[in-house]
Amino acid sequence: MISSYTFGIYPRSEELIEATRKNTENLASLFKTETEEYISAQKNADLGFISDPLLKWDDIYRPFSNLTSVNMSSLNRIYEMNTFYRILSFDDLNFIDSHNVIESNLDSSLPKNKTVAIPEPFTLAKLHTNKEFKTKEDFTISLAKMLRTELDSLVKSGFEIIQLLAPSIAYNKEIDFGVVSDALKIITDGLKAKTILHTYFGDVSPKIESLLDLPVSGLGFDITKTPASSIEKHSFSDKILTVGIINSFNTAIEKPEECIKQVDEINAKTKPKESYVSNNFDLEYVPKEFAMNKISVLGEIARGAKNV
Amino acid sequence: MSNLFPTQEIGSLKKPADMLKKVKDPNVSDEEKIKIRNDAAILNIKTLEDIGLDIVYDGEVRRVEMYEEPVRYVDGFEFAGRVRSWDNKYYNKARVVGPVSFKQNFHAEEFKFVKENSNRELKVPITGAYTLADWSYDEHYKSKDELVLALAKNVVRPLVKDLVGLGAKIIQIDEPAATTHPAEMDIFRESINESVKGIDAKFVVHACFSGNDYKALAPQMPEIKAEQYTLEFANRDTWNEGVNDDARKGFQVLKLFKEHGFEGEIGIGVSDVHVNEIEPPELIRDRILYAAKALGDPTKVYVNPDCGLRTRTREVSFDKIRSIVKGAELARKEIK
Repeated sequence: MISSYTFGIYPRSEELIEATRKNTENLASLFKTETEEYISAQKNADLGFISDPLLKWDDIYRPFSNLTSVNMSSLNRIYEMNTFYRILSFDDLNFIDSHNVIESNLDSSLPKNKTVAIPEPFTLAKLHTNKEFKTKEDFTISLAKMLRTELDSLVKSGFEIIQLLAPSIAYNKEIDFGVVSDALKIITDGLKAKTILHTYFGDVSPKIESLLDLPVSGLGFDITKTPASSIEKHSFSDKILTVGIINSFNTAIEKPEECIKQVDEINAKTKPKESYVSNNFDLEYVPKEFAMNKISVLGEIARGAKNV
Repeated sequence: MSNLFPTQEIGSLKKPADMLKKVKDPNVSDEEKIKIRNDAAILNIKTLEDIGLDIVYDGEVRRVEMYEEPVRYVDGFEFAGRVRSWDNKYYNKARVVGPVSFKQNFHAEEFKFVKENSNRELKVPITGAYTLADWSYDEHYKSKDELVLALAKNVVRPLVKDLVGLGAKIIQIDEPAATTHPAEMDIFRESINESVKGIDAKFVVHACFSGNDYKALAPQMPEIKAEQYTLEFANRDTWNEGVNDDARKGFQVLKLFKEHGFEGEIGIGVSDVHVNEIEPPELIRDRILYAAKALGDPTKVYVNPDCGLRTRTREVSFDKIRSIVKGAELARKEIK
């Protein structure tokens, strides 16, 4: 058995979708009930860590719109997805000192073994705008400082494992790993929690060496984009490895036996310090019925995989 | 087309609120609902004609939306549920669970009705194979290529053939997903070519802007069997009048199409469908004149909004189209 978790935004049910659109009287209770349902589903699947389904979040960046001097701007496509997010405009430096926008937007009923995913600073800088900094590098570093205060709050309230979501590192070809590393160091230095940089929306095969040098506890991969054969070429002896084995972009339900075999092969070849299985990115890309099935299958895969 | 710079719309208009209310009312009979939809279609057609558009359709007033409508009528699909587009906007996404095939011409009644009720040239918008595949879950085919080509051959081609048999002369294949995956332009090219294979009509491809400014599309354009592309330009352009490169930033990519050997027509998007402000006719005139110069042949320029106008109110949409018609008139005077 290995450990497991799901992360990101989960899908709203049809009833909840309608309630958000019509702002019905039972909206708050529906959010609560459905959040509890997802937490129970993760517990029932025996996942190692439990996450808030983030049902109130309209996109993964939206809580940052509550920071001082941050405003919502136009819609932008999330890379090659048929889904859009609101660009945030960081209008002056005040955002660095305001904080606690993530933790205050999480459900308080999560159990002790809890996990959360937040965007890493390079991705945040790449996908949003600022009026203060002349270079993206300066913007990235300032965002890292802001994120550090967020992470400190999260760790204080008991989050043991934190995914740093890195679609921009995966999607874009040219990455300044010096800046990425400096920003991540601000975030992770002395932090009393495990941090896993999770890449998706692009094949990171040529970047794995650089990723392994980054100051994070581990790396996570979307194996529909980064082939297992690329990951298997590297040693993870001093890093955690998360295999994003559940595909949130297809309704086809994974076959546990095949997945267990694949995870075992990857772990046998990479010999990670610790191994996890997860979804490849937000489960909200499939409707709720399928997401629920996938959570259950993830638990089955984790129970069947060998701990190396 | 006798005029230079023929004007046209792209497809969708916001549905009249009254119509929506009535067609959702369980107490309204099916016969009455058909009449309500017909009335709304006539209202759109006549409004577009009165404004002075050269090429019209019915604002897609009978369709649910561009993805769900065709998928309802194609074998091999099952709806999975709604998936977020943004905020609390969702679309009903389907799974491909078996071989895809054409059941019936789901635009036949609509086309016959529009044909009977308009004396202008008609451009029939249909959803392309690549977009249908890209916006669906595939649980059946081994690869995206296979699904796209199956949709092109077994669904879109029979649909197009049937529409042409009914008298359609211009078909616009809507492909908003086309440019979202720059690495898949080969599949996109083949999907269009397979969709129109052996069919005699004028084919227009509509592709939305997706961040790479059509740079991935440009090399494919001469190889795709389409006479015209209707594309978005206004949403990246300045609102300054003028026909120089600085003023016409959004239209500079037209030169790239020519460099890659494309010699067909471009339906230039001169009106931004994401803002309520109405582009003045003088600005539209300059956008047209710049495009005519960039393409080196004014007869290759058609004029339209960037995309479907359904996200704007009807009032804003019709004002934008009025301005497009006036802008084209001003441009014609300059060319003469």
